[in-house]
Parts: sequence; structure tokens; C-alpha cells
Amino acid sequence: MTDLRTQPVRNPFADRSVDVANARRRIHPWRVVVGALLILVSAQIATFLITNERFEWPVVAEYLFNPTVLLGLGMSLMLTAVGMVLGSILGTALAAGQLSEFAPLRWACIVFVGVFRGVPPLVQLIFWYNLAYLLPRLAVGVPFGPELFSWPTNDLITPLTAAIIGLSLHEAAYMAEIIRAGILSVDSGQRDAAAAMGFSRWHSFTRVVLPQAMRVIIPPTGSQVIALMKGTSLVSVIAMGDLLHSVQVIYNRTYEVVPMLIVAVIWYLVVVTALTLVQRRVERHFSRGMSRAAVARRTVDRAEATA
Amino acid sequence: MNVQVEESLTPVLQVVGLRKSYGDHLALDGVDFEVHAREVVAVLGPSGSGKSTLVRCIDQLESIQGGAMYLDGELLGYEHHRDGIRPLTDADVQRQRRRMGMVFQQFNLFPHWTVLRNITEAPVRVHGVSPAEAKERAMELLARVGLADKAHAHPRQLSGGQQQRVAIARAVATRPRILLFDEPTSSLDPELVDEVLQVMKDLAETGMTMIVVTHELEFARHVADRCVFMADGQVIEDRPSTDFFDRPESTRLRTFLTRTSAAPAGGLA
Repeated sequence: MTDLRTQPVRNPFADRSVDVANARRRIHPWRVVVGALLILVSAQIATFLITNERFEWPVVAEYLFNPTVLLGLGMSLMLTAVGMVLGSILGTALAAGQLSEFAPLRWACIVFVGVFRGVPPLVQLIFWYNLAYLLPRLAVGVPFGPELFSWPTNDLITPLTAAIIGLSLHEAAYMAEIIRAGILSVDSGQRDAAAAMGFSRWHSFTRVVLPQAMRVIIPPTGSQVIALMKGTSLVSVIAMGDLLHSVQVIYNRTYEVVPMLIVAVIWYLVVVTALTLVQRRVERHFSRGMSRAAVARRTVDRAEATA
Repeated sequence: MNVQVEESLTPVLQVVGLRKSYGDHLALDGVDFEVHAREVVAVLGPSGSGKSTLVRCIDQLESIQGGAMYLDGELLGYEHHRDGIRPLTDADVQRQRRRMGMVFQQFNLFPHWTVLRNITEAPVRVHGVSPAEAKERAMELLARVGLADKAHAHPRQLSGGQQQRVAIARAVATRPRILLFDEPTSSLDPELVDEVLQVMKDLAETGMTMIVVTHELEFARHVADRCVFMADGQVIEDRPSTDFFDRPESTRLRTFLTRTSAAPAGGLA
């Protein structure tokens, strides 16, 4: 006698007449509603953009590649790059300081980061620009002692230097937090191993800890670059010739405020979109970097390259 | 006086009244012991007895609160200054560490470097050996631990046992005076323990001076010259291996031995 439990149960319908490959598309009623609404809103916005003559699209087209605008764009990109580089270097030092065993240094770095992260960048920019009011002369010398060199502050603090100082310090405070989190993400055993082999602190930090911390540091740094690029528009308040300031200069003369702002908007969107694409690629590269498959692939590539 | 005699008389490592505390908790409470050249010393004891802390203190990965340690007669971590002593500079601590090798429970290989670079980095960057010479020695060591074909692999592509064998090769590459093992097989799958113990046994046979914190009683009995039993941050017994296992003096060690031998080989205490 056969055991009933081992008998497969025959489904009377399982006769190959059903094949999910032939399934019809299911209609989701809410998707229809939301889709229709989206089409309606998009059409409305498009009509607004096209029919509203105050956009003055011909003016936008005329000024999009205007030399003053392109110069401003270049300045914004330059400020982003300089702010990012200086911010990252100072941020790394601050992050290391925040993790120092020497308490006073740790506190100093924590206070520094707290202040420059807490004060709005716009306020900082105006403050640095007006530094001469507080300090008429900047001097290098012995604290409380004789001065060795000194310069009038107004000679040193131009819109450019004020912008670079303000943006870099602001960026450094944010980068310090990002880099600190990256350093803390590295297993303490790595530092132990480096120490046990007699590596100096510098060697251990730069060759062992930082490269491994990059996996955690890179993705938020990409967002910082984008935020800083947009943040450069703040320097227009201290008459620094960035993208926003250059279109302002033009519309103060022509009174074509909206079309000139559209010019700026287009360029900000172009740059931010490009940066976002780069960020995606970098992020994918770094998230992949640590997986077994990628390591294997890289090793094979290298072996082939040397063969 | 004959230099040869003096060398053999001075222990490679001397630990005198070592105290280490974490806040109120005394992790090491007056530890005394010494290791002579070519000696293999196993350190056994229940979890929390301070055995890992001991080797971490010897390698100066932990600060100590009392006592003293000497490597080849040189005070570790401190220097004489005026009529007392003071801590060494970082550079001097690093110089002392370079004469020791350490193998960790979690291997701690550098995951972003190849096996070869893991082994050659310290000889080249710290000890000033030429890259070609360091590479040659690394390949020789890899062959000795049976991983000559893995020189260009990354640590993550290796099994735990293979990683630990690389870690041993890395520690030996700098020709240390003494090699410290901190539970080298405790985080390995049971079937991978033997390959690592075999490498350690081979190393012991070359005359390497070793301190091995371990739970492997068989290894301690057959490879170690001496066994140290620790409990509550103190050395309870310190005797030649055969006496240690066959004629334990304290009840604590007797209890430990019966309890641990009953556990399956390779198991954690």
C-alpha cells in the first residue's frame, strides 16, 4: 500500500493551459489618477513657462553664454574647488585633533568645529569681509610681544580672500565631522596591527586608517561638493564676482531680473547635475571596492597586466 | 665577562609586578614572569583572566598602571630621567615595538593591500630593508606557511586560517626578538585551527621565542616549554609543560584542566 503523504497532489488545472508569460497587464486605478494629475500639472507648468512673456526667453538665450556670466560661473567653480580642497585638508586635521589623546587639543578642535558649523555661512562671509573693523592691521609676531610683520587688514581681505576663508572654514567644520565618522568606522584592530608593526602614527593614519575610512567618507563628501557649489552664491553679498553676482551686475543695468536669474538657474542645474552623475559613479566605485568579487576582479586585472 | 654567557642569562622578556586597570577593575594584579631566548611559553586561563591584556600590555598597545617590563634588559615604555622614570616618546615606543611581533585573534591584516604588501610594508617602510630583499623574504615566508600562490591575493579572498597564516608571516618578516600570539586560533572555524597551529609549531622548532595566549591545551602541552596559568589577573602557576598538565598544584588549575579537556578541541573557553 502506498503512503498517501508521498503522493503528489494533482491540481486538475495544472495542465499547461496557464502560462504567466501570457498574463495581461493589470490596471492600477490610483496610478491612473496620479499619472493624469502629473500630466496636468506638467502641462500647466510648460504653458506657464512658454506663454508667460516675462520669462523673456530670447534674453535668456542671449546671455546664457555671455562672457560675464561664464566668468562668474568659472569663479563659482573655482571657489567650490578651493573651498573643498582647503576644507578637506583642514577638516582632516580637525578630525584627527578631535580624536587626539591630548584633551586640550581635542576640546579646541571640538569648539572650532562647533562654532564654524553653528554660524551660518552667510554671516561668516559678511564677518570676514568686515574683519578690518575689528582688526585694522593683521600682524605676525610673538603673542603679547613684538610684531615681526604686519599688513593693513583691508589690503588682505578682499572679496576673494573673505570668500575663500569663509567657505573653507565652513566646509572644514562639516568635513571634520564626515572624516571623523570615517575614521571611527575603521576597526580598531587595524590601528593595533599598525602600531604592533612599529608604524609611526602618521604612517598608520595615512596608509592604514584613512584609505579604509574613504569608503565611509566619499559618499557624504559628494553631497558636500554639491552643497558648497550652491553655497558659493552667498558670496554675491560681499560683491564677489560669482555666477549669481555676475547676473546681478547685468540685471542691475538692464532690469531684466527674471531672465538673468533663469540664466543662473540653468547653469547651477547643469553643474549640480554633472556633479551628481560623478558622485553616483564614485559612490558605486567605492561601495564595490570592498566586495569580494571586485577585489578578485582587480587582482585578476593586475595579474593579466603584469603577465 | 663573556658576552655569550650574559646573553643567555638575561631573559628576552621580564615582567615584574605588572598592574593594569580599567577604571576600578584590576585586569592585571601584580604579574611576574619571564621568557628566555628560544623558549615557547603558553598562557592559559579562563576568559577574563587577563591573558590577552598581558600580551597587549607587553606590546604597549595598552597603558600600564604599575610594575615594569623589560625587553632584553631594556625598560619598556619608560626611561630613566633624573632620579625617577618618565614615559618614552612615541618614536621610542615604536622603536621598541619593532623588536616584537604580534599575531591577533582577528588577524588584523590590512584589507586594502595584497598579501605581499601586508608582509613587506613593515620591513621596507619601518626597517629600511630594500623592496627587492623584502619581497624575496616575504615569498620565502609565504612558501613556509604554504601560501606562496596567494601573494597577490587580497586578505578577504582568503579563509580565516589562511589569513592567520599570512598574519604570522607578516609578524615574522621583521625578524622579531619575540613573537606574541593573542588567541591566534580562537576566531577560526574548528577545521581551520590545525593548519595555523602547525605553522606555529614549525616556527617554535626554528627556535623563535614565543608567548602564546591560547585555549589549545594539546598545543600547550606538546609545543610549549612552559605553561602559565592565569586567573583574576594573577599568575597562579608557571611550570614546565609536563608538570603543568600532569602535576597541577592548585585546585583552580586542576578544575580548569578537567573542565577544558572535557570541552571539544578547538572550542572556546
